[in-house]
Amino acid sequence: MHPILEGQQLATRRSFFGKAGMGAMALQSLLGANNFPNFAPKAKRVIYLFQHGGPSQLDLFDYKPNLAKLSGTELPDSVRQGQRLTGMTAFQTGFPVAPTVFKFSPQGKSGTYLSELLPHTGKIADDIAVIRSVHTEAINHDPAVTFCQTGFQLAGRPSIGAWISYGLGSENQDLPAFVVMVSQGKGGSQALADRSWGSGFLLTKYAGVKFRSGTDPVLYLSNPAGYEPAARRRFLDDLAALNEHKLREYQDPEIATRIAQYEMAFKMQTSVPELTDFSKEPDSTFDLYGPDARTPGSYAANCILARRLAERGVRFIQLFHRGWDQHGTLPRDLRLQCQQTDQASAALIQDLKNRGLLDETLVVWSGEFGRTVYSQGTLTPTNYGRDHHPRCFSLWMAGGGIRGGITHGETDDFSYNIASDPVEVHDIHATMLHCLGVDHTKLTYRFQGRHYRLTDVHGRVIRPILS
Amino acid sequence: MRTILTSILLASSAWAQRLEFNRDVRPILSDKCFACHGPDAKTKGIPLRLDIEADAKADRRGRFAIRPGQPDDSEIIRRVRASQPARRMPPAATGHTVTDAEVATLRRWIAEGAEWQAHWAYIAPKVQTPPATSSRWPRNGIDHFVLARLARERLTPSVEASPETLLRRVTFDLTGLPPTPPEIDTFLRDKSPQAYEHAVDRLLASPRYGERMAARWLEAARYADTNGYQFDGERQMWRWRDWVIEAFNRNQRYNDFALEQLAGDLLPKPSLNQLIATGFNRNHRGNTEDGIVPEEYAVEYVVDRVETTSTVFLGMTLGCARCHNHKYDPLTQKEFYQFFAYFNNVPENGRAMKYGNSPPYIPAPTAAQQAELAQREKAIAAERDFLRRHESAISAAQRGAEARWFPSTGLEYHWKPGQPAETKEAGGFDIGGHFTLAAHIKTPNPPTGALISRMVNTPQGKGYGLYLKDGRVHVHLTSNYVNDAIRVDTERKLEPGREYEIAVTYDGRVAAAGVQVYVDGQLEPVKVSQDTLYRPFVNAGAQFKEPLRIGAGGGPANKFGGEILTARIYNRVLPPEQVAALAGVKRPEFARAAFLESAAAPENVRQSWLKLQRLIDEKERFERTFPTVMIMAESPQPRPAHVLLRGAYDKPGEPVSPRLPAVLPPMPAGVPNNRLGLARWITSPENPLFARVTMNRFWQMYFGTGLVKTVEDFGTQGEWPSHPELLDWLALEFVRSGWDVKAMQKLIVTSAAYRQSSKVTPELQERDPDNRLLARGPRFRLASEMIRDAALHASGLLHESLGGPSVKPYQPAGLWKEISMQDMDYVESSGRDLYRRGLYTFWKRTIAPPMMVNFDAANHESCTVRESRTNTPLQALNLMNDVTFLEAGRVLGQRMLKEGGQTTGQRLSYGFRLATGRQPSPVEARVLAGSLAYHLDYFSSDPAKAKPYLHQGLSKPDPALPATDLAAYAAVGNLLLNLDETVTKE
Repeated sequence: MHPILEGQQLATRRSFFGKAGMGAMALQSLLGANNFPNFAPKAKRVIYLFQHGGPSQLDLFDYKPNLAKLSGTELPDSVRQGQRLTGMTAFQTGFPVAPTVFKFSPQGKSGTYLSELLPHTGKIADDIAVIRSVHTEAINHDPAVTFCQTGFQLAGRPSIGAWISYGLGSENQDLPAFVVMVSQGKGGSQALADRSWGSGFLLTKYAGVKFRSGTDPVLYLSNPAGYEPAARRRFLDDLAALNEHKLREYQDPEIATRIAQYEMAFKMQTSVPELTDFSKEPDSTFDLYGPDARTPGSYAANCILARRLAERGVRFIQLFHRGWDQHGTLPRDLRLQCQQTDQASAALIQDLKNRGLLDETLVVWSGEFGRTVYSQGTLTPTNYGRDHHPRCFSLWMAGGGIRGGITHGETDDFSYNIASDPVEVHDIHATMLHCLGVDHTKLTYRFQGRHYRLTDVHGRVIRPILS
Repeated sequence: MRTILTSILLASSAWAQRLEFNRDVRPILSDKCFACHGPDAKTKGIPLRLDIEADAKADRRGRFAIRPGQPDDSEIIRRVRASQPARRMPPAATGHTVTDAEVATLRRWIAEGAEWQAHWAYIAPKVQTPPATSSRWPRNGIDHFVLARLARERLTPSVEASPETLLRRVTFDLTGLPPTPPEIDTFLRDKSPQAYEHAVDRLLASPRYGERMAARWLEAARYADTNGYQFDGERQMWRWRDWVIEAFNRNQRYNDFALEQLAGDLLPKPSLNQLIATGFNRNHRGNTEDGIVPEEYAVEYVVDRVETTSTVFLGMTLGCARCHNHKYDPLTQKEFYQFFAYFNNVPENGRAMKYGNSPPYIPAPTAAQQAELAQREKAIAAERDFLRRHESAISAAQRGAEARWFPSTGLEYHWKPGQPAETKEAGGFDIGGHFTLAAHIKTPNPPTGALISRMVNTPQGKGYGLYLKDGRVHVHLTSNYVNDAIRVDTERKLEPGREYEIAVTYDGRVAAAGVQVYVDGQLEPVKVSQDTLYRPFVNAGAQFKEPLRIGAGGGPANKFGGEILTARIYNRVLPPEQVAALAGVKRPEFARAAFLESAAAPENVRQSWLKLQRLIDEKERFERTFPTVMIMAESPQPRPAHVLLRGAYDKPGEPVSPRLPAVLPPMPAGVPNNRLGLARWITSPENPLFARVTMNRFWQMYFGTGLVKTVEDFGTQGEWPSHPELLDWLALEFVRSGWDVKAMQKLIVTSAAYRQSSKVTPELQERDPDNRLLARGPRFRLASEMIRDAALHASGLLHESLGGPSVKPYQPAGLWKEISMQDMDYVESSGRDLYRRGLYTFWKRTIAPPMMVNFDAANHESCTVRESRTNTPLQALNLMNDVTFLEAGRVLGQRMLKEGGQTTGQRLSYGFRLATGRQPSPVEARVLAGSLAYHLDYFSSDPAKAKPYLHQGLSKPDPALPATDLAAYAAVGNLLLNLDETVTKE
């Protein structure tokens, strides 16, 4: 065989999903990219805990003790300033202020105020940086999630995980660089879309691979019933013999790549089940992550899996937990939602820390927007709803590159507008890339004549939260 | 993207000749300089433009950016080489640098005189004479250009591919499916010089050709079966998809094909097909989310039309000028919105319908339905004829009776005093229903209260109702009182204490325009106070616990205080004259109807009359089963268009009217300046882009890459063509042929360039990895739908049937449910619909069919014209373990056993041939035999394994075959479907 082909075959046998896994097409796309990281990274990987639906900042992070006495009063026009509302409350006759029914208290040495709904997060308060002044452009779920995931409200651009796997590739050649998991919440669930982890105009190999609970953690992973690994091995040997015969005749390197990808598929048939098999996890793990942790597909189980993926060097791990869209009966539903997520989110931080992985793993907890201070629907002393609110929301970040125990940014007295240190979604992206050692202005891809960026023409690194 | 490899490739030929601005220099200036010194320079306050010759060469107090012949005196050379960071261009912040090779090119070009050229794509194709050659290789004009380029590169073409390889290649390329063994045998037997051409003609005549061509067009046209965005409910555009298939199959001229899709509705007396064609620009996504601001999305829909239209037909990235002037091409933001204005007049709402199509749309019966409709109309005519022939007998019998007549067809409930005022047996209509509610009443004082309703019994309840409200007749259809309802009121006020015959009809069009209100048989003018109905009542319909109420509905306060003398509920829309009959209007034809329905009429005549009524009713019901399709339409009042500042819907700037970008040739004289005029201009031979862009896309289908690799971008950032003269020649051939699409496909596939073997040498692979020079034939992985189609075809499972509603083949369970709104789950099709061709697979935008996604299908969210291919382990898993390929493997194995012959070798060869179109070599035959032997042993050593292995898919294994034999053949069948060659066009 010609040395080029041999070299290529060797290369593809070693590396599959990452930036080195290349057929002729892939090779070209790589030559267009810059070399990353641009500077020494603080984090090697990201775990992004996406809370889908719009968690209420007012009931979780953004402490507004003075609102209590304004309960039921009309939101002043001076605050609203004629900003647009969604079609769900735009026709509402009044906008009564709905203070949270939940108690806040300072947590940890840092004294970060957190809601009673987040007792476990309280225990990691000194590890996380809470940002209370994030704002977004979109007011509805689909464009807002698309914006958080791709930096643009309309479909078509690569997701952040795809950008990162395109730029940095994988640390683990046996697993995808970008893994996604979805869990179901207790509240009203809005739809997600595959494009949230899609590759946009990048090659599809950079798209997130969805891991699911059940017998096929990755689509089509399992052999059919009755077909054992030994048979599959023989099958692959015969297939390789036929494909190599073809390669000798045609010398097309794509054939070599294909042979290698079948080997990779075979390896995944072992490595993925090993990864998703929790039987060797000690009871202490399940105790740490909480009662749902033994239920496959739950948020808690996905958090354990996220840690296991992090241990194996997967570059970008993203969880989507649905059900944060509390338009009505918020006090009841938000409590349920937090019961499902609070302990596991905190446990993940603790677990990574115990294993010495937190310093090199960036963890982000965020939804796509916040919720209104005024009640959607009738306000009673114990019940209210909240509509979508893009003008401010809260999130937290922790781990590699992040200074723990701080809060950043402030909103006004009504948690309606931002009072200081506004943070855009593009800034979050720029900061995430920065922690990974990537200059967000340099991670570009040329498409339709333009050099596209995750942060478009925006994005500033949020320096005050960096360690 | 212009890669380094391609640059080397293009440069290698460039150095042999004089430098050319468009080929060698413009790409550098565009990519490195235009973002600041380009069309948008003025907004940034930058005085120098390098995209305009006069400006670039201007004397600026003795200094020149570009001074022809004087590279050392040209500021541009000094600046790109400046050592001081502050002077160096491009500035570091841009992230761009000019390479040494690029500086050398600029220097040399300036030294050679700095000759400027207008951007090649914006000027008309030049008439090209195919370069002469003494070689006997060329078969048609294409080959002369290819050969001349190869000669320049000191390369030679490859030999012709083997007949089997060639037939398989062209069969995939023209029909999307592999050839059958008999087709291969026929081809191999045909020794005439025209054998290949005959095969091509046969393939072009096959209806599969239209399906093949349509598959790529659907991606360009972002066709899908759902609305996209969040809720992503189903829509119905398959009639448009079928129109596309049919248009390719009847070889519609391409200019008409484009024109009808852009503006078929504006043609004089457009046919049904011409209206369906306009679905092209309604294929964009539609947002149905509750909370949206409709105006925001109304803008997005128009922007999508602009981007799709300009990408597909013009190869222009017009969308880049949405928020600011284009950074590279001479397009201003204002020009974007002037183009936008052509597509801005559709009478549509920014909030799309949650379920089904959003207005405007039309019923679009299929050919079969049109035929059946004609039959029904014939039957109706026959009954009418019968009655006409008996006219004198009827007249004699009727003796001038003047009885009142009430329409009885479709009457669901006839209420009279004393009967229950609530029933669940009638009135179960939803927002797509057709109905008539009629009541003869005496008004109370004040004239207010509910007459007929079926709704939640609260003031703003969900459902429908006919009320009197402050004297006015009020009709509502309500899913959500706040933002999801229709409400209309008559302008006229009724008086208290008087008798009226009130009737309202609703024709299911989910718009206030579908509501008609009559008082005493007269149509009343109405005021529409709400016209935003999106969601069905669902649980307020037939299944609903609330009954139909007479004289009530909408809460106790709304109970009718007057008198209802009679009420009728029909499940159809009564025509005006029948409403008049209800009101007691006396006309001879009503008297006739009353008589014919009575026992007094002659029995045969009465039967004929009743049959006629039934036939008419059945025909109306039949018409309601017609699929619909969203179409383009023009509002009588053009919607004002503005420049939108930074592209935002709520920041309108200067008003604009429709106009073409100045960089392109003007509209032909005499065409209207509207969408139709635009379509005529786009499709005219004077348009320098239309034919080139189209031929380039065709080329990509065969060779994997366009002559211009950036098929979506012919602007200054687009790639310089690998064969510019050939592209011009092809464009002009296309025009000369009368836009004959089939002729162009034939031209390409009968060229010697196309017929070459795709074997490559390591040297050539290194020199030209993308095969841009065409020293070999195309070899690349099949498109996603072809991989599945070919597997189904090889096994014989493929069910070929042209068109129809989309189908849902196998898909791993739960994919929809996991991330869609909770009530949506994927319901697999049954029977033969599991085995239709891939272009009929139901495409849900937010959760696309996973196999298609694995194999790089376009996303169908927005226009995609560039083909891309990856090679991943997920694809390997897909082919090995997806039930589709396991079942196809088993049926292929079964076919080997039953049809393949007597010996193992014959059977394996047969299967190999079904998958690859050729006989296996001895080496391959040996591997296959070894694999079969292994699997026979594997399954017979533990027969319990065979049963589950055979149990894949809904088709049943042949019980007559021994399970272990079949399982072993099934495994080999699946192996064959996994071969690189099987999934590759070679």
